[in-house]
Amino acid sequence: MLFTVLKKDLILFFSDKKGVLITFLLPIIMITLFAFAFGGVAKKKSAPKPLAVLVVDKDATTTSQELIAKLDAMPTIRLIASEEENALSLVRKGKNVAALIFEKGFSDAVKADKDLPIELKYDAARDLQMRIVHTVLKEGFKYHLGKVDVINTIKLKTTSLIKETSTKAHPGLVQAVGGTAIMMLLFSIAAIGGGLLDEKEAGTLKRLLIAPVKPLDILLAKMGTAMVVSILQLTTMFVFAWLAFGLPIFMDLLSLLLLILCISFAVSSFGVFLVSTVKTRQQLQGMSTIIIILMSAIGGSMIPISMMPEFMQNIAVISVNYWGIEGFFDIFWRQLPLITILPKMGVLLAIGLGMILISTALFKKNIIAIE
Amino acid sequence: MIKVQNLSKSFQNIQAVNDISFTIKKGEIFGFLGPNGAGKSTTLNMMSTILKSDEGTIHIDGKNSSENASACKHLIGVVPQEISLYEDLSAYENLLFWGNLYGIPSKTLKERIHTTLKLIGLLDRKKDLIKNYSGGMKRRINIAAALLHRPKVLFMDEPTVGIDPQSRNHIFEVIETLNQQGMTIVYTTHYMEEVERLCDRIAIIDSGKIIAQGTQSELKELVQTKESIQFEFNFLSESNVDQLRKLFSYELTHNKNKLLVECTVKELSKVITTCNDLQLSIKDIQLNKVNLEAIFLSLTGKQLRD
Repeated sequence: MLFTVLKKDLILFFSDKKGVLITFLLPIIMITLFAFAFGGVAKKKSAPKPLAVLVVDKDATTTSQELIAKLDAMPTIRLIASEEENALSLVRKGKNVAALIFEKGFSDAVKADKDLPIELKYDAARDLQMRIVHTVLKEGFKYHLGKVDVINTIKLKTTSLIKETSTKAHPGLVQAVGGTAIMMLLFSIAAIGGGLLDEKEAGTLKRLLIAPVKPLDILLAKMGTAMVVSILQLTTMFVFAWLAFGLPIFMDLLSLLLLILCISFAVSSFGVFLVSTVKTRQQLQGMSTIIIILMSAIGGSMIPISMMPEFMQNIAVISVNYWGIEGFFDIFWRQLPLITILPKMGVLLAIGLGMILISTALFKKNIIAIE
Repeated sequence: MIKVQNLSKSFQNIQAVNDISFTIKKGEIFGFLGPNGAGKSTTLNMMSTILKSDEGTIHIDGKNSSENASACKHLIGVVPQEISLYEDLSAYENLLFWGNLYGIPSKTLKERIHTTLKLIGLLDRKKDLIKNYSGGMKRRINIAAALLHRPKVLFMDEPTVGIDPQSRNHIFEVIETLNQQGMTIVYTTHYMEEVERLCDRIAIIDSGKIIAQGTQSELKELVQTKESIQFEFNFLSESNVDQLRKLFSYELTHNKNKLLVECTVKELSKVITTCNDLQLSIKDIQLNKVNLEAIFLSLTGKQLRD
């Protein structure tokens, strides 16, 4: 009897192809993603891709130039020459982890064996990468300046370009709140979008189509509902983060509200897009779980983008999570002006519009097709 | 009111509706009778403008439904086979929502909801959530939702599926009232009793084709079978049968004490009087009516519920 029941349960389990897919394929995909993210699958013979560090040579002497060339030859880092203003701007915007500044008099200081006028200005939001860069550079200086055996003779001054103040959020908090908020929002919105499938099964969608209502209005109304819920959900999460963890949400309220609007638009469109690709609730459940977890993993909701290898950072740009999280970092950590954050908001709106266009076509084919 | 010409629709390799034509007059109840999968709902979906036909035309009140779908939507009310209501809203909230979709002014809509709820006998339950209604009550609200914009034609797709006889009768009364008020009604069902009770004219549909249409009496003329009455007597002799043959012009079939008389119910009293005159003691009488079930069987070789 036990065997009969067990056999029946196994047959039922394996007959649900979507369920099987989630059980086996999703963990495999997640393991692969995390393995790449944490660097556990680098090829044995190839070194990891060097970290790009901007270098500003204000000394511009043979000594500084030779040292820069030697440091650049090190496998772990890649030095990119830049003007000071540009370099600092790129680091502030989170484009590069740090800028190494050679001040005037560097050559003289080397000859006179004085403290070196060098400074590493960095983005503290990329703490892990910064630690690697700092260690590598310090060792490089000691080695190439012939001071290997002398302990602590090289002082590499480090300055965070974005200071943690009472008005600023800790990058970890921004990551936690922003990343989690968007991921959870995606799940909520997929469920709301699924309401369209419930209406189809209940017959109310058919009745809506019989009434003088345009199919696009039905789709947009569902998206509108999702958007209102998204705005409320994101606002609630940020208010909670403010009350519970002191996230300074009033620091740049206008940018935050606009970003919440853009994220809500993109996520809501994504919700209706998901629904438009399937025909039943069961299909939606399988599909949304896989896509949302994947998107959240590569988009930085689960692992900070800066910890991911470069190729994964390049892939991340396809996800809503990436643009949303980066936007939150721009507001709470980098404190960039609204004009600088606008392009990210633009990308979110473009993703949303693209999703709506695709959804409209799929909606007619998959959801409102009457048989 | 409705003119359908050469209508066809197929899904992949299945011909759901195959070149059907019919006309529905203003103010009549037109029945679509056929088994499940015959093409009734597909035809109704095309007439409801939500399904495009492959071929053919549908005119509702003179308007081509494919070219003027928006205007046609205001002319028709549709009662879908499913209970197409929001379970977590009250009856009143549901009706308010569905009515609003037709752009009915708020005050007028509220008045119509009141009138319609009264018509279907659920005015006192208007605040109850749909999920707390019985199946029959849900069906009545399902009908009410199709009436608020005062359609000229009401399409009803199997509106009595799965309900008790009392609720069914209530729905019949509502349909009859609406028809008396001048509404044209198109009624699909696979229950022949419903068609027999309600419909002025009937189209019998099977495998996507209309195999017969007309009034009930017109349809009865299509089949060879005639109405008959079977009498069983306590005793019936050959001479009694001969006497009856002389007195009646009806076809008589005699078997022991049983006699099959090919006459209509209207002529029953005449036959009984004659039998009494001959002092024949009647033990049992059985009517063999020619109904739609028999017509369908005769035309298709299948039962309606096959």
